[in-house]
Formats: sequence, structure tokens, C-alpha cells
Amino acid sequence: MNHDPYHWGRPSNETYGQYNYKISNASNINKQFNNASSCDFPTMLTQQPMITGTSVIAIKYNDGLIIAADNMGSYGSLMKIDDLERLIQVGDKTIVGISGDISDLQQIERMLDDVELEESYDMESSNLNAEHIHEYLSNVLYNRRSKMNPLWNACIVGGFDSNDEIFLKYVDMLGVSYSSPSMATGFGAHLAIPLLREKVDKESDVVKLNKQDAIQLVKDCMKILFYRDARSLDKYSLCIINKTSKEIEFLKNLKCEDMNWEVGKNIRGYGIPQL
Amino acid sequence: MVGKDCVAIACDLRLGSQSLGVSNNFEKVFQYGHVFMGLTGLASDVLTVHENFRMKTNLYKMREEREIEPESMANLVSTSLYEKRFGPWFVGPIVAGINSKSGKPFVCAFDFIGCIDYAKDFVVSGTAADQLYGMCEGLYEPNLEPEDLFETISQALLNAADRDALSGWGAVVYVITKDKVTKRYLKSRQD
Amino acid sequence: MSTLASEYSNEVTHDVIEHRFNPYSDNGGTILGIAGEDFAVLAGDTRHTTGYSINSRYEPKVFNIGDDLLLTANGFQADGTALIKNFKNQLIQYHFNNDNKKMSIESSARLIQHLLYGKRFFPYYVHTILAGLDSEGKGSIYSFDPVGSYEREQCRAGGAAASLIMPFLDNQVNFKNQLDPETGNKKQLKYLKLEEVVELVRDAFSSATERHIHVGDGLEILIVTKEGVRTEYYPLKRD
Repeated sequence: MNHDPYHWGRPSNETYGQYNYKISNASNINKQFNNASSCDFPTMLTQQPMITGTSVIAIKYNDGLIIAADNMGSYGSLMKIDDLERLIQVGDKTIVGISGDISDLQQIERMLDDVELEESYDMESSNLNAEHIHEYLSNVLYNRRSKMNPLWNACIVGGFDSNDEIFLKYVDMLGVSYSSPSMATGFGAHLAIPLLREKVDKESDVVKLNKQDAIQLVKDCMKILFYRDARSLDKYSLCIINKTSKEIEFLKNLKCEDMNWEVGKNIRGYGIPQL
Repeated sequence: MVGKDCVAIACDLRLGSQSLGVSNNFEKVFQYGHVFMGLTGLASDVLTVHENFRMKTNLYKMREEREIEPESMANLVSTSLYEKRFGPWFVGPIVAGINSKSGKPFVCAFDFIGCIDYAKDFVVSGTAADQLYGMCEGLYEPNLEPEDLFETISQALLNAADRDALSGWGAVVYVITKDKVTKRYLKSRQD
Repeated sequence: MSTLASEYSNEVTHDVIEHRFNPYSDNGGTILGIAGEDFAVLAGDTRHTTGYSINSRYEPKVFNIGDDLLLTANGFQADGTALIKNFKNQLIQYHFNNDNKKMSIESSARLIQHLLYGKRFFPYYVHTILAGLDSEGKGSIYSFDPVGSYEREQCRAGGAAASLIMPFLDNQVNFKNQLDPETGNKKQLKYLKLEEVVELVRDAFSSATERHIHVGDGLEILIVTKEGVRTEYYPLKRD
């Protein structure tokens, strides 16, 4: 008797001959026939991100929206890339801010490029708006997660919808999506959201925030993120989507300003002054 | 549950071993002088903790020459449970009573290592805690007279227990006023 | 290396079990449907969460999917949206094939069962509730488990605070444990008026908001009557 639990109840080879592995449909079936070592290792799908981008933040104001992300790609705690652009413009109505795995970001960039190209063939004017891009991205991300092979990203899609109204919506690697007048991915969800919600907590607060204050608020948030998020950079990009002029301003290579590191020397341990 | 110059405390009567019902006559509310304590959780610990507090409250009565007040009982329960911080009694106690001096109603609950939850309105404990929170938040209103408090706590317990597979099999309700304690047994679903 | 090596097991090549990608998450929220004599309501809070973060204070999850039917799928939001999108597409097909005939709630319910059971071995992680009027014009609620087991009911709560709301509904809608003070018999069942139902729904949600962290921000109630579908919004506590 073979005491291997996997052999219990199996006709013995001595009596019935070699077992036909094709019947069992086992995943390591090829090993018996190919004798190849390539299938010793299981198929590997994305199980963790490699080079990553940190937070993306966005907020609506009375005449549009602002979206920002820094320019770093980190490899663990190593600053692998310091001139990375994580805000992607698609057509003339959409900005996509992407955090998470950078190789997946670039894959998404290529896919969005294809979409833009396909759409530009037979359309006289550009009909591709932020709503479409969001729908496309959520379908891609949800289908990839359903194949257990996710694109490891969280995206914020901002721009204009079909009625030329301001559109702002989030979607992540699981296909979870939601919209809110102020939102952030990653660390930003913990550090920036409280600051953004102080000004814009609900849709009706949007009219009370003007462009200058909104830009200042986003800049402050990027500074706070640089202070406390170890995987962030003081160099960032910022997009301003203007509703009335229908223009997208793309500001690159911005630096965090008026930083104060004096507090640093007073911090001991976990932030509580020690005597 | 707190009412106007009264408190009520109630429990179901089921004792079970997981899905198997063992007894329909297992009361979980105990009286120490004019203070009441309900104990949910591991039945053996419920009984042991009760016996323990019977001893402690009796010793208290001998030394102080008076019955223990609900506020003191709360602290006694808390410290006693915390003593066993790393080998705890698996019980979820609640304490209810009326302070005999001030006449103020008092209720509070504990986790199994003695963290006190003081409440102005109601406290719950046990396997049907979620259901009880929902019922109490929905039905409770402040300053109920004893008879209305009885109806409220009974409805809360009965309906919560009916939505919990591990609770039910009858119920007991105590309504406590300064000079009177009423104990009522309730009929309930037997499934 | 494991001693349980055999041709059936490919696990034996792993010495350590690695961190695995988790395709599900929980987006909180709670839902509630009540059927009346000639109406049905389907309500949901508007908070959207992951873990302890509030993603959005207004993300509707109860939808008017056409044919005077209301549908919600609470739990993992991505699956919920996928299910509803799926159903809407099936409904378009149905209209195309059946001369734009309205789909009855009975048929819709059976269709949803098949959509859910179709993913029996990689389920939609959602509690689904369907509301509408039946063929006699009576209010009707159907509720589903994640893999498609379903039942017609008078009322049903689902999602994060279902355990808090459901016993309250038993008590206040089906008069469970209530006796007639005159006769001592069980209190007679009766249909509640729309205003009473809306008040009950609001009470249920403010109670749930008080005790459940994933519930709050806003309450959206969709009401279906023979006149059609109408939406009401009430703010809830935002803490």
C-alpha cells in the first residue's frame, strides 16, 4: 500500500499499468511528457508592485479641477526614477493621474494611446472625454483583477464629461471606483484628504473655492506629503482643468516651496518631545 | 437600559454548546444586594465569575457594613477582570442598578479584560450584541417610566434574540426602581 | 520540500506560502428594501469606504435600472457595478428579442439568480436586493445571497449594518413579538403607508449610522409606485 495521501484510492501501477496523467488534467501534467524544467515553476502573475509611484491628489474648484502627482518612481526605498511623469493627458479633455506600479502605468499609457489613436481615425472632432476614459480604465482594471492578473494601480481620472461638465472619478486595481469633489490615492488618502476636505467636503462646497486658493491648497498638500511620505519627492506636476476656457494647463517641474524643516530637530522618537 | 428613576436588565435563557441547545433555563443576570450583573460568554466562567463576585460583595458588605453601590461594583468588576489580563475569564459583563444614596440609575458594560463602557442610555453584551444595538438605537427613548421601560427592553431583547441563532429560548427581565424589583419571565420562540 | 509530493499537487514546489493577490475588498455601506401594498422602497446610504478610509460621502448604490425596477448590490463595489451592468445589458437583449416588453420582477429575479450563480466558483461578493411591483401591482422585494439563492420578502436589510437593522424590521414591519393589548393575540399584520415606511427607513439608517462606522453621510431612498420611480435624499451623520 502506498501511504501517500494523494495516492489513496488510486489503481496501483503494478496491477493496472502507468496512470494516464491526461485524465487528471493536473497542472504539472507536462512534466511527465516534456520532461522540461520550465514548468517546475508555476505561472507567475503580478503579486506585488515593483517600481512604484506614490499619491495622486485632486480637487474640484468653482471653475474646474486640479490634479497633482510627484515625479518619483521608487524601487522599495530606492529613488529609482526622479523625472517620472505620472499625469497622462489623453485627448484634449482628460488627465489621468496614476499611482502604483510604474511598468503597469506605462502599459496603461500605451493602452490609452491606442484608444486615442483608434478614436481619432474616423471622428472629425475629438469625442473622447474623461467619462469614456474612466469607463475604459475601470473595465480594463476589473477584467485584469478577475483574471487574477491585476494592473497594480490606483488612478484618478479628471477632465470633461459628455456635457462639458467637470468630471472627477477614481478607479483602482480591483475595479473599485467612486467620485468625490476631493480625492487622493495612497498616502494622500490619509494625509491630503483631511486638508482638502477642510475646504471642499461636499459638492456644494466647490463653488466656494476659487482657482488661486485651490492651487495653493494643492501645493500645500504636496508639501505636507513630501514632509511625511518617505516615498515622495518635492518635484511634482500639476494640471489645472479650466471649465469656462476649456483649457488644460499642464505645469511641470514644480518644487515644494516655503518648507520649514526646523520642526525636525525637535522631534524625538515618535513625535513626542522627550525631556 | 436606563429609564426615569429606574433601570432594567434582561437576558435570554439559552445555554448552548455551539449549535446544540443544552438548557432553556440558564439565567445570566445575578443580584448582589441592590446591584445587578448580567454575564454572557463561556458558561463555566459565567458561573465561576458569579460565585467570585458573590464572595467579593459579601466580603465588601462585612467590611463596609453596607451593600455595594453600582458605581463601586463597576470598578470592582473592572479590576477583577484586569487581574486576569493574560489568562482572562471569557465573559462579557454588564452592571445595572440604582445608587441607594443618590437614587441615580446606573448601567455600564465591560469587555472581557475589564474596559468599562459607561453609558447614559443602554449597554448590550453577548452573541446578539449587533442585533441588540440595532434594536435599542431604534426603540430607546430617554426618561421612560418603569412599565414603558419594561416593554422597550423586552421588545429589544426578544427581537434581537430571534435574529441570532445562538440566543433565545425564553427570557428574563428585571425592572429595578428605588424601592422595588420586578422580575418577569417572557415567553419567546423556541427555535 | 513537502513529503506529500505527487503528480496531483503542484503546491509541493512552494516551500513558503507567498503573499497572494486578494481580488476582493469591502466597500461598506448598508441597504434596505421594504414592500408596501402598492409601492416598494429601496434605500441605501451613500458612504463609500475601504478599510477605515471614507472614499466618498456621496456614491449612490441603488439604481433605477428601467422597467420600474430598483436594484442594488452591496458589498464589494466593483462586483456590484459589474453585476448591475451585466443585468442592464441582459435587459437590453430582452427588450430587443421581445418587442420591448417590460421585464417582470419575477423574471428579473430569476435572471439575477443565473447571473450570480454563473460565477459560483468566483462569486460576486455582494448582497443583492431587487425592488419593484409584481404582476398584480403589489410591492415586491427580492433578496439574493452572493451565489444566487433568492427569496421574495416583505422587507430585507443587507450590507454592513444588516444585523442591526433586520431585527428592527421584524419588529416594526412584520410586528414580530408584538401582541394586541386587548386580546393578547398576535398583532394583526397590515400594510404600512408610504409615509410610515419612509419614517421607518430613516429611523433604521440613523440608528445604524450611530453604531456602525461604515454607514453614514447620506441616505438615498428610491420609491417605486405605479406612477414610476422617485428619489428622496436625507443627510446622515458624517462622523
